[in-house]
Amino acid sequence: MKKTLVLTLALTLALTGCSKGLTIFSNYRRIENIELVRAFTADTQGDGVLVSIYGTAGEQNDARMVEKSGPSLGTAMGELLMMPLGREAILSHTENLLIGEDMARQRLNECLDYVERYSETRLDIGLLIVRGSTARDLLKGLSGSDPSAADVIAGLANHIARVGEGAVFTCREVAVSLLENGVALIQCVRGVEEEKLFDARGDLNLEPDGFAVVTEDGQTLEFLTGEETLGCLLLLSRLEAKDLDLAVGDTVATVSVEELKTAWEPVFDGDGALTKIKVRVTAGAKLVSLRGVADVTKKSWREAAERALSETLRAAAQAAVARSQTLGLDFLDLHGITARKHPMKLEAMGRDWSDIFPTLPVEVEVEGALRRTFDIMDSPEIAEKEEMTPWEKLTESLKDN
Amino acid sequence: MGKVDGITQRQLTVLIFVSLLSPMIRILPTSAVVFAGRAAWLAPLPAFLLGRLLLAAMDAFGKNVPEGAGLADMTELALGGGLGRAFNVLTALWLTFYAGFVCRSAAERLLATVYPNGSPAVFIVVMLLVAVAVGAGSTKALSRTAEVLMPILVGVLAAVLLSALPDVSAERLLPVTLQDGKRVLYGSLPVFNVLAGFVYFLYLGGRVRKKPGARPRRFPWLAGLTAVALGVTFFTLGTIGEHLAVSMENAFFIVIRNIKVFGVVERVEAVVVAVWVVTDFIFVAALLMIVSEIWRTVTGAKKRAAFAAPTGVLAGAAAFFIAEGVFDFQKWSDVLIPAINLSFALVLIPLVCAVGKLRKKY
Repeated sequence: MKKTLVLTLALTLALTGCSKGLTIFSNYRRIENIELVRAFTADTQGDGVLVSIYGTAGEQNDARMVEKSGPSLGTAMGELLMMPLGREAILSHTENLLIGEDMARQRLNECLDYVERYSETRLDIGLLIVRGSTARDLLKGLSGSDPSAADVIAGLANHIARVGEGAVFTCREVAVSLLENGVALIQCVRGVEEEKLFDARGDLNLEPDGFAVVTEDGQTLEFLTGEETLGCLLLLSRLEAKDLDLAVGDTVATVSVEELKTAWEPVFDGDGALTKIKVRVTAGAKLVSLRGVADVTKKSWREAAERALSETLRAAAQAAVARSQTLGLDFLDLHGITARKHPMKLEAMGRDWSDIFPTLPVEVEVEGALRRTFDIMDSPEIAEKEEMTPWEKLTESLKDN
Repeated sequence: MGKVDGITQRQLTVLIFVSLLSPMIRILPTSAVVFAGRAAWLAPLPAFLLGRLLLAAMDAFGKNVPEGAGLADMTELALGGGLGRAFNVLTALWLTFYAGFVCRSAAERLLATVYPNGSPAVFIVVMLLVAVAVGAGSTKALSRTAEVLMPILVGVLAAVLLSALPDVSAERLLPVTLQDGKRVLYGSLPVFNVLAGFVYFLYLGGRVRKKPGARPRRFPWLAGLTAVALGVTFFTLGTIGEHLAVSMENAFFIVIRNIKVFGVVERVEAVVVAVWVVTDFIFVAALLMIVSEIWRTVTGAKKRAAFAAPTGVLAGAAAFFIAEGVFDFQKWSDVLIPAINLSFALVLIPLVCAVGKLRKKY
């Protein structure tokens, strides 16, 4: 019995597995022979697809880009992965996929299908649409850059979230949203000057360009404005931070919105009909800088600032809702929100959501709160002008508040 | 009746738990989501209750069975020599086929997820070679192996599931209403189908050393498997939602592939593949052992080791010829195998035991 077991185990060591030749290293890859593809792009090219990959590996840690076209994404990628740079390209650590506008318009599902189906790729690959140019041009321009193209793209994705210009949704999030809502949002970027991705010196000249709205059937590709994008971020609770300039009296206060809470409440009438959806957004902000002279400790000034903040955010949220209803595409997932809050009532209504949604009143209420001014409570000019004793300042403050 | 190669009741339950992890991870969450949609994560709970009922029934049937007698002996007692032997042969043939199916299923899963350019033949041959060697050996060795592996498997599964927690969204799990109750019940059938597989392990019952007055403790494995089913379904659905989950053959694996631990460790799916392979191997080896035990009873042979190799060859033939491509295989996997499995584990075998009880044969 033991002999049989030992013999069997010994035989299994000699199996070749997936590699060629007789070797026990069935799935073994030498680090110097692999090309880690951290980002790849896909664009349409005639009736086919042009894909570019960007990798970095090897002893010199050199980074290069290669591209290949084919009738489909699968064939193009297949060829590309077979013959890149003399190394075996692997997609197991790919972080971002950039696609051109035409690719998004015509063949988005093909991209998602490839990512879902291919055995190496993760679903959590960030998805971006490059507007006004091709994704390939973006990657090409970044080749040989320092930091590397993959770092620049990853940095860009983080930057977009940190400045509140959007959010990079992953292929998983896009695929799930398409399947569950029939519509999804994808982050866009574009060149700043006349749609050029790079300036005269060859430096990256790229800016976030809001969300694209795509549908499951691939028939729709709409682009949201900056305000609508901000509204989506607010209502989807995806806003990480956003700096806003607010006109407060004679001053302009720059505040950074950071703390966000969104509460939804679908309202049904006595007959069980959905009459409206109320959404209340609570946004906490901190004062970043102040232009002009104001005593920020005064309640009246703070309230004016908070009103301005609330109004700006409310306008953004309403713009997003209005665009969603105009397009007839529920990318804010109002159906899901209603279904989760009142599943029985929604089902009892027995009406198709597409009939209800476009005219459904959505009441947006925003409460902006200025929560921090950091160490400087007064504007410097006021501190110079006023020569009050600490006791006078305290009593003044108590009276004001 | 094999007293030398004895195992404890606990070892048998551990063997059941580790073995049934294989089909449990294979079928979930997709098969439950097909029926129950986003409420599928609740499906393991009714399955647990059904499993508990079956367990109680089988315990009641086997209460007065003489020590050293397994299910094959009970069958011959219940149905008489000729008919009992015929039923045992039928069961042995089914379990041989099932072992082949499990091998092929494991191979297809490895191809779909990790080795896209490989051949199923390699995995089938290796698995059967090792399973035959172990299946011909002692029940004690296999049970001890399961005992050693169980904490590792549970630890890995728990760690992997917890790592997936940040991606879980309540929006993909809710709403669940009372109206989903019927769907949840339907969704529990595939889970119960797996749990009901414990019945096959009662063929090794003759190997269990019974302590006087000791009650069978099978509840922990049932609760453990239910917890695994709950975890796998909950985390997969919460991460990728019902629609994506149902469209994927190995949805759980796809979720695992996305896991990042503190942004430092990623691509941990190799660990999960190891869990699959280990549980598949234990399950196939256990099935070969069970079939050999049945043949030993049918032929009246003293030892069962000689039956393992022919059974392995037949299982290999089944694995190779069950289907040409993945679509044919899917038909077996989705419809035929669950139906046959449920027929044997839920209907035929308990019925035979009930007949024996009614005829007061034990």
